[in-house]
Amino acid sequence: MGMPKAMIAVGGKSLLSRMLAAVGDHAQSIHVVIGYREEMILEECARNHPHVVLVRNPDFRSTNTAHSYAVGAAHLRGKTAFIDGDLLFELGSLREFFQAAAAVDVLVGVTRAKSDTAVFASVRPGKDGPSILSFSRGERSDHEWANVVSGPADLMVGAKGYVFEHLGPRLPCRAQEIDLVEVDTADDLARVREYALQKGL
Amino acid sequence: MGMRTAFCFDVDGTLTTTEILPCIAADLDISEEMATLTRATMDGVIAFEASFRLRVAILGQVPVRRVQSIVSSVPLDSRILEFIQNRRDQCFLMTGNLDQWLEPVVAKAGCRAFSSEAAVSEGRIRVKSILDKGAAIAEVRASGLFDRIVAVGDGANDCAMLDAADTPIAFGGVHPPIAEVVRRSHYVINEGGALCRLLSML
Repeated sequence: MGMPKAMIAVGGKSLLSRMLAAVGDHAQSIHVVIGYREEMILEECARNHPHVVLVRNPDFRSTNTAHSYAVGAAHLRGKTAFIDGDLLFELGSLREFFQAAAAVDVLVGVTRAKSDTAVFASVRPGKDGPSILSFSRGERSDHEWANVVSGPADLMVGAKGYVFEHLGPRLPCRAQEIDLVEVDTADDLARVREYALQKGL
Repeated sequence: MGMRTAFCFDVDGTLTTTEILPCIAADLDISEEMATLTRATMDGVIAFEASFRLRVAILGQVPVRRVQSIVSSVPLDSRILEFIQNRRDQCFLMTGNLDQWLEPVVAKAGCRAFSSEAAVSEGRIRVKSILDKGAAIAEVRASGLFDRIVAVGDGANDCAMLDAADTPIAFGGVHPPIAEVVRRSHYVINEGGALCRLLSML
């Protein structure tokens, strides 16, 4: 795509701007980790989101998302939400996630399985809310990993592989369904734009 | 005992919410010209030392007391100022500007300042020495009082300071930090409030 996925415009606004607007009311401090074509994010935030802290990850070419999360949260304290930058949320659903996150140590976001490259999530209902039992690339289930998790600020310290792999040893833990779409490939764009129209975003 | 941290701030365009020299130049009705020269220097197009000596030669026409009066009315970022005032023993101003001109800002901040030095003779100000911000950071480190040094800056003459610090931060509260400053920094922040929130967490 030639740009960070967070800079893709949907309905005239970048995914990043939509994300920051959605998260703003729920967070005391927002850290945006930048790497690939960081100048685009720097300009967008200087112009429209001066309140965020931009955290540089100059090693982005050789590191993964888990490392970026650890870098971004390095000096944060307290409850921290780790969110991929290429997501578009239904706002009420995100609000419910943050409300639920306040009550538990770690809360894993899941969403209805729909993507071509899903990491499936085995979810079990419970009286206090659903729990996630396991992640799987091959074993299909109704839900997939939403690339959203909340927990202590040091949740990602020491993560080597994928974020969901790092979370594995903590399972089972509480899960929360989130209504969202993700931009994985250029082919997803039409689907994301249709989603935005459907949800009135 | 926690980590002892020193916080080092550039002054022009970081603590002050406007560049100081163009404000002084307004007295000579050359504010625009001075702003252009200042911008070219910040961007690294002109070497800081040569540019600064030239700017002092021009602005030296304005009496020192008048300069101090102008400087005392230059607005400061209230959040950064408050952060400094609450940690006077941990904070340092690092400025290529002249000690005699910046007295009012240093007095407000109430912390130690490293600056270029001036002498006044026969009513004219001249530059005695120009601050090497990297050396200033080394002096703070050599004091042995701090385990970590955080530095905040925006322009070409901040690069040595950011290189010498443990946690370099590019600040764009007044204008975007230059690319060379961003490239050296761990964080890029565009607002005094966000900067102070981060500094409080370090």
